[in-house]
Amino acid sequence: MRAGRSTPLAIVLTTAVAASIAVSAHRRDEYLQAARLAVEPDRVELQLDLTPGIAVADATIADLDRDRDGVLSEGEKRTYVGRVLDAVVLELDGRPILHWQSIESTFPGLNDFRRGEGTIQLHAVATLPHQRDGDHHLAFRNTNQRDGSVYLANALVPKSDRVTITAQRRDPAQRDLTIDYVLRAAPGASAATWLPGALTGVAILAALLMRPSRTV
Amino acid sequence: MHSRLRIALVALAGWFAIVTATAVAQRGATPASAGAQTTVTTRIVASAQALLNTLDDAGRARVQFPFDGPQKTRWSNLPSPMFQRTGLRLGDLTSTQRAAVMNLLSIALSRDGYRKATDIMRGDEVLRKQGSSVPRGGGPNAGGGAVNPGGQLAGRGRGPGGGVVFGEDEYYLAFVGTPSVTTPWMLQFGGHHLAINLTLLGSQATMAPSLPAAQPASYTFEGQTIRPLGRENDKAFALINALDPAQRSQAILGYRVADLVLGPGQEGRTIQPEGIRAPALSASQQTMLWDLVKEWTGIMNDAFAEPRMAELRGNLNDTYFAWSGPTTNGSAAYFRVQGPTLVIEYAPQSSVDHIHTIYRDPTNDYGAKFARR
Repeated sequence: MRAGRSTPLAIVLTTAVAASIAVSAHRRDEYLQAARLAVEPDRVELQLDLTPGIAVADATIADLDRDRDGVLSEGEKRTYVGRVLDAVVLELDGRPILHWQSIESTFPGLNDFRRGEGTIQLHAVATLPHQRDGDHHLAFRNTNQRDGSVYLANALVPKSDRVTITAQRRDPAQRDLTIDYVLRAAPGASAATWLPGALTGVAILAALLMRPSRTV
Repeated sequence: MHSRLRIALVALAGWFAIVTATAVAQRGATPASAGAQTTVTTRIVASAQALLNTLDDAGRARVQFPFDGPQKTRWSNLPSPMFQRTGLRLGDLTSTQRAAVMNLLSIALSRDGYRKATDIMRGDEVLRKQGSSVPRGGGPNAGGGAVNPGGQLAGRGRGPGGGVVFGEDEYYLAFVGTPSVTTPWMLQFGGHHLAINLTLLGSQATMAPSLPAAQPASYTFEGQTIRPLGRENDKAFALINALDPAQRSQAILGYRVADLVLGPGQEGRTIQPEGIRAPALSASQQTMLWDLVKEWTGIMNDAFAEPRMAELRGNLNDTYFAWSGPTTNGSAAYFRVQGPTLVIEYAPQSSVDHIHTIYRDPTNDYGAKFARR
């Protein structure tokens, strides 16, 4: 070890904070809802992570485990996912997008919630109607469990180079997020695609023209 | 004819020099610094080997993981056993073995980085001495979760009744891949509020993703006030207060950011950048920005941190600084620095005394770029 870096564990501890402050390793009394939205020309993908704090875990469990048997059945999970997605509203250029389709969801064990480390992860997709090229506005509103929730909402960098996000507008709580973006036209067949075919066609044509004509 | 030949040769040499310089810049290292980096990697590998030599077969098996296995992404800000870590637990080691671990860290990290890591660990020791705990909500394994007032640990990494435990013993070391100068491997060290993931391949190194955090954010040790992330906090507040009103209006987000957006488990995601673009900052403000960024990049050994900073400065035009919250130092405020190969987030957890931060490279988390080269 370098000189001066090895420090004995004997620590004189006088903390700068009041000792009576309860230590929280993580969120306690809030329900964190973190949304990430991927905008593509034909669809929007939603990844939504839901993490109830320790103090609200029992309420979440009661909401999930409707038959109180201590086990989350597939039906209970489906019901919960459906209720959450129903509460997540999406509008494209002022018109509602009616249907989220759940792609995947993972649920932690009930005891994970009680320890404050349980995160429900939802992945859903909404198909967008045909859009003209140009400016568009996608409005996202999370109305799920408004009491005691804190929100994060962010657009991911689009995978398609046809979509360029120009702005993100939110309310102060991040329940609402409007993504302004520009959609560009799908590029036509690129030179790399049509050039070999065109050259082949020209070669065939040239061969046909140069072929000696037969006379009977 | 001769003069034309000479001109051609000069042009060819110039072209070669430009191509070489461009390639070196893209790799983020000059040949001389690449040599220095390889030397540091060699020292890290030797130190890792020295540690392995202090272990028995069981210890060596416990610390070693395959490079392409799931261990790489097994890290968290949470304390044990809320998050169950694997590897060598400091509390299980002899004094010789523990000294070998700390020696390895002192070589892999810069002086400031080592100080930061040990300050974070001591902060957790403060929590342990306070007898603090995370309450348990019940369930079959719940037992109230209180660490007993004397701070005695009840079993390996677990408090009485299975509760959460804090302290310097609760940090784990793992080698993901075999320590080597010629093949990629990762030095993984972490515990509550600390995750260092240093991936090495010869002259190349990345510390992304890593998570330095702090609670308490300020404590007294041997008569001195220790703030593990104090410089990050102070430099960020200095920067936001150095902006004029027009710049602030671009930098400050009009909404609350309650937590890290790209924290643990958010691999492979890139959010749309927001805030003020670095070219809109004055030269002195840009210097402040890079000085702030260096608090994260500079955790790893200087030989690796310097080329990393050069790479980031090269992305100035696409680097953003965003802020959410009050601008008076001492307040709880979130900030983010984001560029094409960088994400830094600083997120107070409801108070200034509990800070989470994250450092990522969207193009090179866990050395993804090394594998492609």
